[in-house]
Amino acid sequence: MEHTTLAHHLLLAGLLFALGLTGVLVRRNLLVVYMCLELMLTAATLALVAFSRFNRTMDGAIFVFFIITVAAAEVAVGLALIVALYRRRGSVKSDELTTLRD
Amino acid sequence: MSPDFASLVHWILFLPLGAAVFSALFLRRAGGFAAWFSTATAFTIAGLSLKLLLQSSGDVTWHVELAKLGEISLGFGYLIDANARLMLFVVSFVAAWIHLFSVGYMHEDAARGRFFAGLSIFMFSILGIVVADNLLMTFIFWELVGFSSYMLIAHYFDKDFAAAASKKAFITNRIGDLGFILGIALCLHLYGTLDFVALKAAAGPVVPVAVGALLMCGFLGKSAQFPLHVWLTDAMAGPTPVSALIHAATMVAAGVYFMARVSFLLAPEVLQWMAISGAGMAALAGLCALAQTDIKKSLAYSTLAHLGIMGCALGLGHPELAVLHMAMHAFFKATLFLGAGSVIHGCHHEQDMLKMGGLLKKMPLTAATFIAATLSNCAVPFFAGWYSKDAILEAAWHGHHVAVFAFLALAALATCLYSGRMIRLVFLGEANSEAAEHAHESPWTMTLPISVLGLVFAVGAGFAAHYLIPASSLQVVHESLADMHFSLTAPSTIVGLLALALGLGGALKFYGAARGADALQAVSPRTYALLEHRWMDGLYRWWIDGPQRRLAEFIAFLDLLLINGVAVRWIAGGATAALGHLTGRTFHDGKTRGYAFWIVVGSLLLAWYLLAR
Repeated sequence: MEHTTLAHHLLLAGLLFALGLTGVLVRRNLLVVYMCLELMLTAATLALVAFSRFNRTMDGAIFVFFIITVAAAEVAVGLALIVALYRRRGSVKSDELTTLRD
Repeated sequence: MSPDFASLVHWILFLPLGAAVFSALFLRRAGGFAAWFSTATAFTIAGLSLKLLLQSSGDVTWHVELAKLGEISLGFGYLIDANARLMLFVVSFVAAWIHLFSVGYMHEDAARGRFFAGLSIFMFSILGIVVADNLLMTFIFWELVGFSSYMLIAHYFDKDFAAAASKKAFITNRIGDLGFILGIALCLHLYGTLDFVALKAAAGPVVPVAVGALLMCGFLGKSAQFPLHVWLTDAMAGPTPVSALIHAATMVAAGVYFMARVSFLLAPEVLQWMAISGAGMAALAGLCALAQTDIKKSLAYSTLAHLGIMGCALGLGHPELAVLHMAMHAFFKATLFLGAGSVIHGCHHEQDMLKMGGLLKKMPLTAATFIAATLSNCAVPFFAGWYSKDAILEAAWHGHHVAVFAFLALAALATCLYSGRMIRLVFLGEANSEAAEHAHESPWTMTLPISVLGLVFAVGAGFAAHYLIPASSLQVVHESLADMHFSLTAPSTIVGLLALALGLGGALKFYGAARGADALQAVSPRTYALLEHRWMDGLYRWWIDGPQRRLAEFIAFLDLLLINGVAVRWIAGGATAALGHLTGRTFHDGKTRGYAFWIVVGSLLLAWYLLAR
């Protein structure tokens, strides 16, 4: 089997990112949209780790730790927002939340 | 510098801040406790200031650098000289008694916690100005004073006039502060430092007019000098102890004190303006005090007159006399306001002087202190006010400023006139309303402060000055007094005594006849209307409503046309509208997915553009 290179990692990261983006664009349930967003974020961190590994520096890897920490906090806020939204509006379908148009 | 001195000033400065924070966080519901807590703090500070006053002499400094931007050093520090010592003592001492008075006066107020926290933060701000050793620190505390006075004037914020008055005070002060901050920037540009001691060394004998003129703008606002004096009389909307605090010891004094501190930066042209406008305002405001029926408003005009006298002393090149007059004024004006508060409290919140009368018998202690302070206000010989006011008159004569002297003499006469009128209307004669008939003496928390300030200090501060204030603090004053050959036959003394006899006697006689109406209004309604001093507000209203409003509307029109119209509607709005028209669908549908889609499209286009370049 061929040795894995940076390009392989980046391709995988790009695929993950595209998958997440597609989810964000086509799904209607906010919870799923949110999961897809997290997938996009993970793709970005994967690219960072890959760069870090192949450039033999620790910068990217350390950066990822920060991203994971911040992402954890962000998930807490985001999920709380979705729960609050559901309690208030009784729905988490993104197509039904169009108040901002007016 | 000795650590002992620095820690003493730390305590003086940060104790009120601590008290304010503690009251604001924990004592909002416990008004009674907050009142006594704040009062105890104020008396502690007064004690510490007295210790500082008696303990050391000579100029002492303490400084820490907070930030260094290139060549410019920004820091926090203390510069304690003779003026600062005197001012620290006067401010903290008068404020402490005002705190005690407030305990009684605000007894039934629901928001006492907030009120006393406000008093404490006010103390912190003003003490910061007093000890500050550089312009930036002064400016920061200057703004804090503006904020806390806004908060205190608007104590009854559910009343429209109080909210409007606090807004007026705040905005008028901001106009002055714009000049102040430009002056600071100019100092930095010219001399590269903001430190008072370094500035004094760097400034040299010739200073550009612009520096002093810009710094003076701050003084015009804070000390309510012409033409920014209009806020002061409206500031009466606050509770009476706040009026005493703002007018007597603190806010308005800050400007005078600051000008004395940077007097070496004031060019002769600036000084001349201050002398003329100060003396003019003293005369005008003194006369305007004759046409006010609200006792607090009349006192407010009296404060304006005294501020004019202080500004005039600064302009005559005698900052030490200005500071001395400020100290004496603090004692008797605080008494007058607190006395007015006691009268208002006793008369069930009646402020109209025409509805009072005959209170001498019903409130003897209040009447005695009020009359004592009034005599000091009129500069009766050997009362506190006489020492400083006559010295300033003498300085004007000595400096051959005939116009200034004439205005000051007129101001002295006006002072005696409105003082006599006030005593006649409020304390003598018969009660003119139900409220005045059923007046009662105030509780001890209110009469004790006015007795101490009025009977002891407003009368005796001049005598006691030699013992109370160490020689080092008064030395500068002595020098300028000795310079002027103070004596009984001096023009100032003669003019002062004449004004006293004519003014007090004339007022008591003139206002003796009419009941329930103002004698001057009856004799000459037109003069009375002119002296009511509504035309200055009218002038401002015309200017702001007319030319300034039109300019603002023109700028708003440009904004609407160029930014909203051309940039947003035509270019940004036009592009999406055109695109929407082409693709046959609207972009603005409120659906999150649609927006996300267009964000992706935009990012891809941007990436394509950047990569293909």
